[in-house]
Amino acid sequence: MADPRLAWMDRAHPLPHEMGVDEEEVERRKAFLEFGEDDVDVLRGLRELARKYADPVIEEFYGHILAFDETKSFFRDPKVLARVKELQKDYFVRLTEGDYGKSYVANRLKVGAAHEQVRLEPKWYLGMYSYYLRLVAKRMQESLTNDPAKAFANFLSLMKLVFLDIGLAVDTYIFARESTMRKQQEAIRELSTPVLQIRERLLLLPIIGVIDTHRARLITDSLLRSIRDNRAKVVVMDVTGVATIDSKVANHLIQTVIAAGLMGASVIVTGLSSDVAQALVGLGLDLHKLNTVGDLQGGIEEAERLLGYRVERLEPSRSPPRD
Amino acid sequence: MTVPILKQGDVLVASMQEALSDHALIEFRDRLSDQVGRARARVVIIDVTALDVLDSFATRTLRAIAYTARLRGARTVVVGIQPEVAFAMVQLGLTLESVETALDLEEGLALVGAIAGSGGHAAH
Amino acid sequence: MPLTETRVPIEDEEDIVTARQKGRQLAAARGLSLTEQTLIATAISEVARNIVVYAHRGEVVLSAVEEQGRRGVMVVARDEGPGIPNPTLAMRDGFSTGNSLGMGLPGAKRLMDEFELSSTVGKGTTVTMKKWVR
Repeated sequence: MADPRLAWMDRAHPLPHEMGVDEEEVERRKAFLEFGEDDVDVLRGLRELARKYADPVIEEFYGHILAFDETKSFFRDPKVLARVKELQKDYFVRLTEGDYGKSYVANRLKVGAAHEQVRLEPKWYLGMYSYYLRLVAKRMQESLTNDPAKAFANFLSLMKLVFLDIGLAVDTYIFARESTMRKQQEAIRELSTPVLQIRERLLLLPIIGVIDTHRARLITDSLLRSIRDNRAKVVVMDVTGVATIDSKVANHLIQTVIAAGLMGASVIVTGLSSDVAQALVGLGLDLHKLNTVGDLQGGIEEAERLLGYRVERLEPSRSPPRD
Repeated sequence: MTVPILKQGDVLVASMQEALSDHALIEFRDRLSDQVGRARARVVIIDVTALDVLDSFATRTLRAIAYTARLRGARTVVVGIQPEVAFAMVQLGLTLESVETALDLEEGLALVGAIAGSGGHAAH
Repeated sequence: MPLTETRVPIEDEEDIVTARQKGRQLAAARGLSLTEQTLIATAISEVARNIVVYAHRGEVVLSAVEEQGRRGVMVVARDEGPGIPNPTLAMRDGFSTGNSLGMGLPGAKRLMDEFELSSTVGKGTTVTMKKWVR
């Protein structure tokens, strides 16, 4: 924002907690999973084991993935496969590092996002996870054959962490889908509330379709921003295409006009038939705030007049000489 | 933090830099009224570009300023209401009826003929 | 379920500005748009001013909330003032905030997504408002 007086707008810019997974949120998830310091200690205790079995587990894991067509396709490129194995090994080791704070979560979200981006669907992702867990469980069982109860308890601690991870991974999938939807909705909104600059300082706002409170607010919001961005002084708001103009809709229109006025812009409403206008007045609405002109052309002409333009028709050009 | 009031010929320009407490707004109102009289100002322009909120009290104060100015023969033009603020004001049901408004300082000055230009939005 | 909570004591009019600035900050952190932040800040200004004018002291509690997967902001303005004798009347549209009469409550309601007013004469008033990320 160039104008320093508008600094308050930049100060109020939203933080990048886009996914809503801040530290507090993670703590709540851990509490719900009953993942606490005891579990952290158990997992730390498994570090040596994890390091020892990291490579064989990874190899077996990818052996399984490459045995199925659905998942093989993602790892066709040997370079990709090598890189992914490295990342997977790192992931595996991290499970027992003992640090499950901010950077751990950030890493998990990144891993989930990476899988979503290559379009590996949740069903395979979760299936892979399950296979992986079984490999780990087997190793844990083997290492504690004389104390199966402890092995089981250790496994349960690991499960809590794994479910935290799966929750985060699933969230990245959902977030990615929702982001797409949000972008599409934004595009639809732009299409449905177009504000066109038809001359310097003159905007045309054609409103088409059904106007409910939500849409009315979007239109007003969009118009006000355009008034500022285009330094508009006059707006022609055409309501010919509005499905039904009842008193609620009329009130929305009046509010839009008032808001534009606060920014120094006049609004000419076109397309409001006299029948509808009469009906609205009959309902007790005070329409005198609205500057209405019957049709769009008339409205634009009026707008141009207000802006000091005068439109003249040039003499018809002579017909081109015959060959 | 008081609001600086500048004199440009017979035009007074007051730039509100930041949110004022109620009590500072009242002080501003009184000081501005005083200056309008002393400077025999023809126009008062109040620039609210930097204000991120215009609530009912601030709006009433602006109307009161305009009223007093009119009693002393001066027009008041409020300029710089931002889109988000205009939107909130209208949702809240606030109006600046009988107070003129313009997009920004430049437009405000053009409106009152202090500079050449296409002017702003006259009061109904 | 409320998450982080910020309490702003409202004792004089300077606190009104503090409350609305903090409200804006919280709204921004929750991901609400600039317009929505302004709506919240304006609503806070109105209810906080009511506290100063009618009850002389009270508090505004700002918190991040989450319900059914939606993220939002909750504003609770409470005081132990005289209370509102006729809350229905106070909430009726037509009680314009433009005049010196009226408490600006219907307007504040329009600015927010959820609005609840509870008041007992002689005991005090609590206004609870919420706005959700779209």
